[in-house]
This record gives sequence, C-alpha cells and structure tokens, in this order.
Amino acid sequence: MSGDSPRVFPVDEFVREELYPGYKQPFGSQPFVAGPVRPFSLADNERYWLRDSLHFSEGMVPASIATLDDAQTWGAQLGAEIVGVPPTRGSVNRLAGTHVYIGTIDVDTQWQVQARAARFGQYVSPILADFGSYWAMRAGELQSAYDHFDNLDLHVMSMPEIWTVLKDAYAFHRRAWFIHFEVMYVLTANYLAFYELAEEIGLSGSQVSSFLSGQQTFYSRTDEELWRLAELARTLDVSSALMTGSPADMRSRIAALPHGTTWLGSFDKFLSEFGQRVEETCRIDTPSWAEDPTPALYSVGAFLSKPTGFDFHAARAAAIAERDAQIDAARRALNGANLSRFNQALASNQTANFAWWNEEHNYLIDRRAAIPVRRATLELGTWLASDGEISDPTDLFFLFKAELFDVMSGAGTTSWAELRAMIPDRRAYFEHWRERGPSLPPMLGTIPEVVPDPIMIEVFGLSGQFLETMRGEAGAGAGSSGAPGAAGTAGVTEIRGFPAAKGVVEGVARVITTVGDLHLVEPGEILVCGGTTTEWTPAFGIITACVCDTGGSLTHAAIVSREYGIPCVVGTAIATQVVKTGDRIRVDGQAGTVRVLA
Amino acid sequence: MSQDAVVDLSAIRASDAGRVGPKMARLGQLAADGWQVPDGYAVTATALDGWLPAEARGELARLFTAPAQGHGELTRLAEQARALVESQPLPSWLRDAVAAAHARLESRTGRGAGLRVAVRSSALSEDGQAASFAGQYETYLGVSGVADILLHVRKCWASGFSAHALAYRRRFGGASPVRVHDLAVGVLELVDARSAGVAFTLDPVTGDRGVCVVEGNWGFGESVVSGQVSPDHWTVDRSSGRVLTARTGAKLTWAAFSPDSGRVVLSPLPGDLTGQPCLSEDEVRYICAQAARIEEAAAGVPQDIEWAIARDLPFPDSVFFLQHRPETTWTAGEVPRTETPGTEAHGTEPPDPEEPAFDPVKYALRHVFKVPGS
Repeated sequence: MSGDSPRVFPVDEFVREELYPGYKQPFGSQPFVAGPVRPFSLADNERYWLRDSLHFSEGMVPASIATLDDAQTWGAQLGAEIVGVPPTRGSVNRLAGTHVYIGTIDVDTQWQVQARAARFGQYVSPILADFGSYWAMRAGELQSAYDHFDNLDLHVMSMPEIWTVLKDAYAFHRRAWFIHFEVMYVLTANYLAFYELAEEIGLSGSQVSSFLSGQQTFYSRTDEELWRLAELARTLDVSSALMTGSPADMRSRIAALPHGTTWLGSFDKFLSEFGQRVEETCRIDTPSWAEDPTPALYSVGAFLSKPTGFDFHAARAAAIAERDAQIDAARRALNGANLSRFNQALASNQTANFAWWNEEHNYLIDRRAAIPVRRATLELGTWLASDGEISDPTDLFFLFKAELFDVMSGAGTTSWAELRAMIPDRRAYFEHWRERGPSLPPMLGTIPEVVPDPIMIEVFGLSGQFLETMRGEAGAGAGSSGAPGAAGTAGVTEIRGFPAAKGVVEGVARVITTVGDLHLVEPGEILVCGGTTTEWTPAFGIITACVCDTGGSLTHAAIVSREYGIPCVVGTAIATQVVKTGDRIRVDGQAGTVRVLA
Repeated sequence: MSQDAVVDLSAIRASDAGRVGPKMARLGQLAADGWQVPDGYAVTATALDGWLPAEARGELARLFTAPAQGHGELTRLAEQARALVESQPLPSWLRDAVAAAHARLESRTGRGAGLRVAVRSSALSEDGQAASFAGQYETYLGVSGVADILLHVRKCWASGFSAHALAYRRRFGGASPVRVHDLAVGVLELVDARSAGVAFTLDPVTGDRGVCVVEGNWGFGESVVSGQVSPDHWTVDRSSGRVLTARTGAKLTWAAFSPDSGRVVLSPLPGDLTGQPCLSEDEVRYICAQAARIEEAAAGVPQDIEWAIARDLPFPDSVFFLQHRPETTWTAGEVPRTETPGTEAHGTEPPDPEEPAFDPVKYALRHVFKVPGS
C-alpha cells in the first residue's frame, strides 16, 4: 500500500440534509461556539471522525440529540473556550444515521493559540492550587440541583407546571455539561503535564495513571454494595430467583420466597442511594436503575454465578501497595531536581487527580444529568397522550427539543398533527440504525498521521498505533465496497494496543458490542468490546482479562482493570472484528498484545 | 522467657529495636530523653517465636514460599496465613505477662479499667531506608480491657501477613522467606486527641531543609496519616521560627472515638470545625521547635514525626509525640545541596532558576500543548 496518499473512509453513504426524517435544523437557533450536532456532509471527508461507542453505543433518539448537543458538543466547546485550551476548540459531533461520531476543532492561527495560552494560565492555576475546595463547590452545585429535581412530585403538578420543570431541567443539563468540560480540561492539563514530565525524566508516561490509582469512587462503592447484596442473597437463600428466569418478573419471584421481602428491602435501600443513574450518557430514552433495576439485578446474578465473593478491601489494598511500590521505584530512579519535580507533579496530581475524577464525575454528570429531563418529558407525555395529542408518552422521545418547544410555546409554526404523523417513521429509522450500529466503521473521513488533541489520545485512544492500524485497514479495504474492517482483518491473529494493566492470561473470549448484552458474560471469560464505561464495571469482578477497540491510559477499562488486578489491552482498533466469541485468546497486558490461539 | 515477653516503655531504649521494633524503640528513647509520649508497653517479637507451634510455623513458611501469580493469589495466601496466626491461642505465660503489664499501666495512668489504648504493630524490618513501610501494618485505636488487648495483639501479629504487606515484602525484601518473628506490638495509652497530625523536619515535597512542615486535622491522627483528608498545612522557617505559610485544608472528615463501636472511626467532621485551623500558631511553632530537637537527637537525619494535642491538658503539656522515623522520600535519594563546593553558596537564597520548581500549567503549555515561546 502507498504511504503517500491519505487514507479515507468515505462518509458519502451517511450524507443527509436532515437529522431525522422531516427535521431540518433551524439556523442559528443555539449559540454554538463552533458548531452543533449535524448529519455528515461531503466536506466531512476532509477530516477524521471517531465513532464514540465509548459513550453512545446504541444510537440517539431525536430528544437525546438535544442533550448530546448540550454535552459533547456545546459543553466541550464552551469549556475549551472559557478555560482557553490552546490547541483545541473542543469536540464536534456528526451522526451516521443515529450514531455518534466525534471530531475535534483545531485552533489554527498563532495569535489565537498565544492568546488562549495566556488566559489558560490565569484560569487554571488558581483552580489547581486548591482543587479540593473548587470541586466541592461544583459538586455541591450539582447536588443541590438534584435535591431540587428529585424532590418534585411531578404526578400532582399541572401541565404548565411540568412544562416549567422541563425547561428548568434542560437549563440545568446544559450547565452540568459546562462544569464537566471545565473540570475535565483543567485536570487533563495537570495529568498530561505529569505524563510529559515522566517521559522527560526517563520514566514512562503510561505509568502515570498507575501512580494515581487506588482512590475509591462512587462506582467502586456501588460494586462493593452489589457484591454485598449477592452475599446477602446467598445467606437469605434467594439466589436461584436472581440467576434464572426473565428479569420482568424477577421481583415477584423473589418476593414469593421465605426471606424474599427482606432481601428486596436491602435492594431498595441500595437503589435509593445508588439508583440515580442511567446506562448511557445523554440517553433520554433509557430508564434509571431506580426506574428499572434490571441491570443491577443482572449484576447481582452474575456475581452469584461466581463461587466466591470478591474481597474489595484486599483488592484495593493490593492496588494501593502496587501503586506505592511503583512510586517508590520511580523515586529511587531519580535524584536532585528531577526528583523534586516528580514529587511536585505527583503532589499536584494527587490532589487534582484526573484518574479518579474521570470515574467519579460520571455519577454526578454523565449518567445522571439527563434524568430530570427524562422524568419531566415522560410526565408531560402522559398529559399529552391523555389529551390525544400523541398516542404514547414515549412518543416525545421522537420529537426534537426545538419542535417540542415550538409547539408547546404556542408560537404555532408546527401543529401536533404534523408532529404526530412523523413519529412512526422516526421510530422505524431509530430501529433500522440500532441494528446497523455494531457494523459501523470505527473511524470515518481522512485518517490523520497524528492527532494533536491530547484528550483524544489519552481518553479516546487515538494513539499512533491506533491510527496506523486504521490506515492499514483502510488500505486493505479500499478496493471493496463493504465495511472497511471486514476485508482488512481477515487472517489477522495478533493485534497490538496500549498496555493498560499488566499480567498474562489465556482464556475464552466473549465479544460484547453493547452494554445491554453484558449479562451474557460468563465467569472466567475474557471480555472483548468496543470500550467500557462505568455500567460495565460489575463485569470486571468475573472476567479474567479485558480487551477494547478504543481507549488510552485514562480510559475506564484501563483504570478498573488495574483496580481489579486483571490484564487489559485497550486501543486495539480492531479486536471486536478479529476476535470471535468462543475463540481461545492470549492477552499480554504488559506487551499490549492479543493473540488468537484457536 | 516470660520476663522477656512484655517490656514497659520506661525500660525501652533505642538499642532495643531488635526485639520491640524501631518504632517502639525510638518511642522509648524519646521518653527517656524527656519528651512527652504516651505511656505503655511492648510485646516483643521474641514472644512470637515462643508462641507459634512448630507445625504452624512450617505451614506459614510453606504459604509464603508458594509461587503466587497476581494479587488474587497473593491475597488468598495472605488470608490463609492471617487466619492461621489469628486462630493460634496465646500461651498462658504470655497472657499473664500482658495482664501484669496492663495492670501496671492502668495504675500508672490513674485511669484504671477505663483506660483506652492504641495497639500498634511495630515491625522489626519497618524502617528500611529505601522502602517506606508507612501504614503497612495495622493499628487499633480505642481498645480497652485485657481480653480485647490480647485479641488485638494477635490481630496485629497477623496483619504482618496481609497481601498488602506481602506485596511490599516480596518487592523490597525484608525477611525472605518470610520469617514469623519479625513483628512486635506496642500497647500505648490513647491520647484523647483534640487535634493530631504529622511534622516533617524538611519540606517533603521540595526537600528544603530550611523549613519544617506541619500537617494536621481535628481529632485523632489517622485521618492525616492515611491520607483521607486534605489537612491543614503550615511551613515554618526553622532558623527564625516564623510561620511562612498557613493553609487551612478542606477537612471534611475526622477520626473520632465512637462510643457505639468503642473504636476510633472516620466520620464527617462537625460543621463548626470545618474551615477552622486545628492548631494555634503557638502550637505550630512549638511542634516545629520540638521536631527540630528530635531531629538533632536522631543524629541530624530528617524526621517524620506524629504528634497529638491532648484535649484536657493546658498547652504546652498538651503536646504529645507518638512516633518518629527517618523521612524516607529524601533520605533515600540525594539530599538536595544547599551549597556547592567551590562555588558561591546559595544558602536560603531564592532557588536557582536553572533548577525550577514544577509548575503544571507552564509545563502543560510548553510540553503538552506545545505553545511556541511559552
């Protein structure tokens, strides 16, 4: 293959004028810094686009596109603007059908880079100097908003009152996402400074996230509680009901057992504290655990299928010992000014710790911020369905925010009859693209030699290795019109990625492309997936290794694998295409390799 | 043997490190040199040698030389060893010796049966100059009564076999194969701490020997030592005794005695104490002055010192020193020079611009975002 011509995965087949049948975006309706969520256009062939299966694996309904706009698009762009990140104006999104691709916007003039650098220092330094107080303030703001929304009794409100709540909920959602990116850019700078310093003084940058591991997060506490509930299920003899049968009637089957109501009492107490979370970021159409605890019940069932429990205390203690041993070893290799700089960078990152926050914030922002919007939307839908404007409350998921606001405000450019008529087509469109999701290419557009945005490298895993694999694939697949991956991966038995957590394991692979299939994972298997998020964490208690298409040193799978002490390789680009469920594979988490044995 | 098994603190000197562990040996020496420390006694490592029957020791040796892959297996081995040690009944001569020492302590402190103590592991190999074993072994705070003390003595001994401690030992050495008699246990009166924390006779981050750093929180010191809070932080100029910086930490939790559990537990800090510094400036300066003298007594090696302020005593009688040890971060590596032979001495002048402090923002602009001219 030629090294000169750029590799392009054409976006052509995804080019649309409308985001969904019957929806044209109103021009200038939102104050975007750099650009809203759009369908692909031919001009997008000039740039790279990464499928964000890390955050959005199943596709977006129209109502979720407003929350996506707020989050990864507007929130990232405003955050990058206010913090003044010098090389990037944040991320921007395109949809292939209903599926999310992410790109970045470079700052391309020297004057702008310099001006942003100057204000970046002014903005970031005081926050890093006292990150504890700063995060306590932001977390407090988010928590008080949740206290407000969670305590509203929507069932007794009138339709105008609910409409007001929905507007408030959207406003809060947008604010939460600004906080997300403000904090993220500040912490990323701190982390990456440590990373580059480590490289400069003869350590490896990839060690840095290990130096910062071992902190307890909301999610490790959730897992610990789920294991405790599994133990309790054994003690109270309700485990059989949790391990068999359909989740729909699991509750009633448990309740019928002699100690069933005791166990359900503990489970409900768990939900009241840990249940305000949904399975995917920005998804209005997915219930919280409090609404539908099926994912939590599955986790308990999976833990029960493992003969012994998991000692979180011991695992964390061992992870901390390993971390401290690595820090000590690093210190022994250094002296003088380099040791001093290392200690200062470490101290700064221990208080303003991106590796910790990258997990912890999901509970306060990613997996929770859209729940007030969802609740108010469904409640409003109930009124509208009883008035005959729509046939089902969930029909509102298939209207865009701009359409709903227009018709609700009575401004009168659209009627309920027109909107209602489009909903069946849109439901079909969503289902069509949901099925196509797993076969979409991991990247579209022109695959670059390097990606300058450090977040894309460390969080999304767009390393040189990843890009090289993608370019190789594009070359191999260029002659065929099918999915780029299919032709490029035939006959491949060894793949390379980022060595995220050490150890060597051989075992049977289980390929999972969406979190909804996580219950298929059997104890002792090796998980192979696009990427993991916090909802995948319970699986780490039963798997023996983890392999992901996406990801860098800071991705969820890397962090959690280290906590659980299992080998992990991320950023392989093609693992889910090369490996099939049932394959026997060998994962080397130190070398960053995965080999298909049979 | 029984007269060797338990030793009052007043009889312990630095030279006893080989039987009571460096931690208790230094504390005994500190008391003998006139510093105010909590009274107590030590159960010696020798006692353990006479305690575990041969078959139990054989089993331990087997567990710790067994090949282990990954922390899961290490944890399983450690669990077995811990359960084995915890389950061994103490011989009557050792129970009697502890009971006698405890009766003497109850009478010396005048607290009788109401006396609460800290039961602390004191590892003989704890203070390797290269590897800091800080916090690797267990401490139990708030224990009272002989039966409970005996139980926690066993737990302390057993804690030498946690996966945590073992991972450390396998990496950095220590007894190998793991011997069973290298942990002693200290039993010390629990100082009813209003505030507690640590003091360093140099800046642990920069290595600057010209300052003393004090960190503390309300309540017992475990919240600071375990790194669970952002403590209050002071730097004090050692030559002038002047407080150079004072930063009140975002202290959200504290270690406090819980009457329910009879133990010191981590709990939310009462609202009226958050945002309040846990020491007065006089107390900060006093702790630093004493810390400098402790360093002097320790042959000038920089020290890491734990202190506590007793709730019910007037200052400065209220200031107790709980332990001290060489500060490992800097003494393990090259101690930064304050002057260069044959060149101009820098002394306490501003730092050489060629040896810059690390500023994450400037570094990120230059090396991460690669902004020209930054």
